[in-house]
Amino acid sequence: MLALKDIYKSFGTHEVLKGISCTIPTGSVTVIIGPSGSGKTTLLRGINFLEPADKGTIILDDLKVNVEKAVSEEIHRLRQETAMVFQSYNLFANKTALENITEGLLIVKKMDKRQALEKARYYLNKVGLADREKAYPSQLSGGQQQRIGIARALALDPKVVLFDEPTSALDPELVGEVLDTMKKAAEEEHRTMLVVTHEMAFARDVADHVIFMEGGYIVEEGSPKEVLYSPREQRTKQFLARFRSTAL
Amino acid sequence: MEDSIVDLTYALEAFRYLLGFVPVTLALAVGSMFLGSLLGLAVMFVRWRNVPILGKLGTGYVVIGRALPTLIILYVVFFAFPVFLLYVNDGQVSERFNAIPPFLFALVGLTLHSGAYLAEVFRTAVQSVNKGQMEAALACGMTWSQGFRRIVLPQAAVLAVPLMGNQFLSLIKNTSIAFMITVLEMFGAANYLSSISERYIEIYLALAALYWLVGMFFETLFRKLEVRLAVYKGSKV
Repeated sequence: MLALKDIYKSFGTHEVLKGISCTIPTGSVTVIIGPSGSGKTTLLRGINFLEPADKGTIILDDLKVNVEKAVSEEIHRLRQETAMVFQSYNLFANKTALENITEGLLIVKKMDKRQALEKARYYLNKVGLADREKAYPSQLSGGQQQRIGIARALALDPKVVLFDEPTSALDPELVGEVLDTMKKAAEEEHRTMLVVTHEMAFARDVADHVIFMEGGYIVEEGSPKEVLYSPREQRTKQFLARFRSTAL
Repeated sequence: MEDSIVDLTYALEAFRYLLGFVPVTLALAVGSMFLGSLLGLAVMFVRWRNVPILGKLGTGYVVIGRALPTLIILYVVFFAFPVFLLYVNDGQVSERFNAIPPFLFALVGLTLHSGAYLAEVFRTAVQSVNKGQMEAALACGMTWSQGFRRIVLPQAAVLAVPLMGNQFLSLIKNTSIAFMITVLEMFGAANYLSSISERYIEIYLALAALYWLVGMFFETLFRKLEVRLAVYKGSKV
């Protein structure tokens, strides 16, 4: 279980997160929606300290980290027990598709080479790219890169996979393949996933829990049915109105 | 051949003589390139990680080191360092001062010169690597230094190598000023030979050919290295 308690973060005088608390139960998919600048990505990047928050508590099973007093061992452990899928994929440009996945297994998980290769190939196959294992990221499409990004994250067996707008940088016709891959991870492997996205259909179909954020606050949360179809808050209604005609 | 302007036989003879000094030139160039790379890398790190005091010193060094003519750096090392030694030795002149070979001063001077340039080369190379690469490494659970060594450095090297090649070629030619502090390398040897034979044209033509050959050799070497490091870019290089 991942729990966040009273997370605050400012960039200079601009307060981006104003006391965020939420719980992501093990094996569930939580989707965070909200307008740009609402703090969704900052929240996600605060969890693995790529963008350390200013104060608050992050709890991941038995690990409890006070953000303000976090020591490097705690930060390192949080990073080892989570994995992230980035908006711009961020595959290691100097590594092949296969090496992108084995890298963390060999260096972080200290697996032996044969085991790591086996696991990497399993996940490459899972994301439908078994035939591209020798390709470098520069030789792959955005959708393929992102699927490898997902394979890289899943192979590390993290307690939580953090998805930071995984389809926002993709051409529209490539979005589907990435969402399908994520859906498979949720449904077949029961991964604990925290997903920041603008894909309302994904939230509707895959999420167990939806959080609507705006202006650094959680405005509303609940099941996809509650939040997406009968939101209580005016702000949520206004935000969703834009999607009403198309995705939902 | 008395009446021709260029005596090719003599030029060849001079070439053979000068060939004997290539090792000195190369030792200076390779040695100061190697030490300068270590220095440059260290300076790049302390500036990048904003290390207190050292970071500022590094910036000062890069600014001054690149602004000064190489010859002045060499003179400072050659003439000022012994004064410094005298000072720390309570004004006692020691026999050991004179035992320091000029080659060593030249090596230190050229290292200081190339270190300043290479620090900038490394800085631009490392900055050219997308920030997301390190973030991905950290998010995977790697430490900063693992991410740097395994992910950032190999990518930075692709950009750094041609720039280092540039620096090295100019360094080979720069070693000629070591002659000003009495080191007998290729240029010094040519100078010495022409003061005896007074056949300036032949000797300097032979010298030019020699610099050219050495330069070509290393240019090819760096080019090969660059292609090899850039394998991951597919066919882009």
